[in-house]
Amino acid sequence: MDSRVGVQAVPALGPVADLPARSVARELGSFARRNPMAVAGGLVGLLIVVVAVAAPLVAPSDPLKTDFRRMARPPDARSVFGTDQVGRDTLSRVIHGSRMSLTVAFASVLLGTTVGALWGVASGYLGGRFDLVSQRITEVLQSFPDLILAMAISMAIGTGMPAVIVAIAITRIPFGNRVIRSVALTIRELAYVEAARAAGGSSFRIMTRHVLPQCMAPYLVLATTHLGVAIVIEAALGFLGVGIPPPTPTWGNMLAESLTSLVPHWWLVFFPGLAITVTVLAFNLFGDGIRDTLDPRLSPAFLRMMAGGRRA
Amino acid sequence: MRKYLLRRAVFGVSTLVGVSLIIFVVLRILPGDPLVAMFGLEGFAKLAPGDRARIMEDLGLSDPLPVQYARWMRDIASGSLGRSFFRGDKVSELILHRGPLSAEIALVSMLISWLVGLPVGIVSAFRPNSLPDNVARSASILFLAIPGFWLGMLIVLATLFWFNYKAPLVVVHLWQDPWANLQLVVGPAVVLGLGQGAYIARMSRSCLLEVILEDYVRTARAKGLKEAFVVLRHALPNALLPVVTLSGILMGFVLGGSVAVEQAFGVPGLGRALVVAVIERDTIVVQNLVLLYAVIFVVINVAVDLSYAWLDPRIRYR
Repeated sequence: MDSRVGVQAVPALGPVADLPARSVARELGSFARRNPMAVAGGLVGLLIVVVAVAAPLVAPSDPLKTDFRRMARPPDARSVFGTDQVGRDTLSRVIHGSRMSLTVAFASVLLGTTVGALWGVASGYLGGRFDLVSQRITEVLQSFPDLILAMAISMAIGTGMPAVIVAIAITRIPFGNRVIRSVALTIRELAYVEAARAAGGSSFRIMTRHVLPQCMAPYLVLATTHLGVAIVIEAALGFLGVGIPPPTPTWGNMLAESLTSLVPHWWLVFFPGLAITVTVLAFNLFGDGIRDTLDPRLSPAFLRMMAGGRRA
Repeated sequence: MRKYLLRRAVFGVSTLVGVSLIIFVVLRILPGDPLVAMFGLEGFAKLAPGDRARIMEDLGLSDPLPVQYARWMRDIASGSLGRSFFRGDKVSELILHRGPLSAEIALVSMLISWLVGLPVGIVSAFRPNSLPDNVARSASILFLAIPGFWLGMLIVLATLFWFNYKAPLVVVHLWQDPWANLQLVVGPAVVLGLGQGAYIARMSRSCLLEVILEDYVRTARAKGLKEAFVVLRHALPNALLPVVTLSGILMGFVLGGSVAVEQAFGVPGLGRALVVAVIERDTIVVQNLVLLYAVIFVVINVAVDLSYAWLDPRIRYR
């Protein structure tokens, strides 16, 4: 949800060369001291990613294996999160569900933010009619509530994983476009860009070599803050029955399947939702820390990044 | 001012034309055949090619795309919005039947978000980094992470389990039976309200903290006014401006979020209608409902812009 609120355009800064050099370890140390919650979020997020990657090794049993002698059992010693209506182990399904949720979230944010950012760079740097048309298109794309646009797109292009990724990615494009465009607008006016133009650099060369690197920091902030949003949208699509279809477990379609019994079993509702909440919380905390760190008014680390990514 | 209003209106309408074009294009590149969705694969196979063509003709799907688009615009102009593939109902009737419920949910949720978020934000800003502030901030961070539809499912489960209670499943309007209507509205409104309240609390806290540093607040304190008076009468009105904007933006989120939350509570609102139509691939219903959501979204944004001038007379529109 935290999409239109928060991330601000970052004013470009001149080169900052006189900051003292510090080692990466000390840099991380000071980041951890200033943002303990962000580090906690980052570590939990990392743990979830590791579990997702290693799902077949971590999960106690096969997420698709039904067992008709153990149907709809509440949590016990053999299946810690209980079993569903056809006897599949909920813990294993939650663990395997993390794969889908994280894959969709990372892929869609990467795709959407990158496309939006590149578009924004071109739109901000080139200006003129291209910019005008781009801004109108962005305006139109932003006139839909996220989830509803994603629903309509996934209805149109199908319900597999690639379709869901594309659907969510399209809803992320306007944000990347807007923010990065405003950065590109300020960078365009800087002396060194003018120098590059005077030296005869082509627009393409200036955009890729001189403007793009300066957009790295806001790009990273955007991408991390949108991870949580993407996870929630994916889960909501699955819950509404227009996401990745069963039997592949995702947190969203597990919640939807829990509703198929007249009185839903609490463990089938509680654990997938808890997984969503913990993951989103971890990513949000991490994203907040990244944003605080990369905020131009707060941190010398950001000044260095803006100075060209080198630890001068 | 009037000139500005006119320009905003023209701008808004042209955006909505773009929106309708996007919806139309997205929904007509559907790879699935609507007939398959209507009759199922077997039923589709049994249909003679002539019947298929005739039904497509009846549904108006065999015309060229510009003709179909023009027909949609004509349906909008006539107010009927076209008919559902499946039930043959007018979409306008569907909206009039279910819309009030969703609108009620949205408005009540906004009310709840202010009632909860603003006091929490003020208490937080009174003593930053105190215990109540930290509790409030942690709670708001938590509420930003909890998906509304999951919270809704948990509430439904809990009330069913402990009180053996279930909200009514049919549309009941406020003017028919206020008590039954309240039971339908309250659950989704609370869930959506708490979600927005978390943002409101966060925003009002940070805005208040910013305003409190201003000279005129220092002057008010120097006059010897009570701290509560300084915060509530002097600082708060100026701090509220960004919160109002945020609240408007959040209404846009509610439009999207309410679809899933209505599903979780089983409330037969507009969101449920959209979900059903998407699953049934009822293109006519989907295109109108999505457009309706976009219209509301755009209107809210314009209203937020205008509320600026009303709340802060320093702002002049040209």
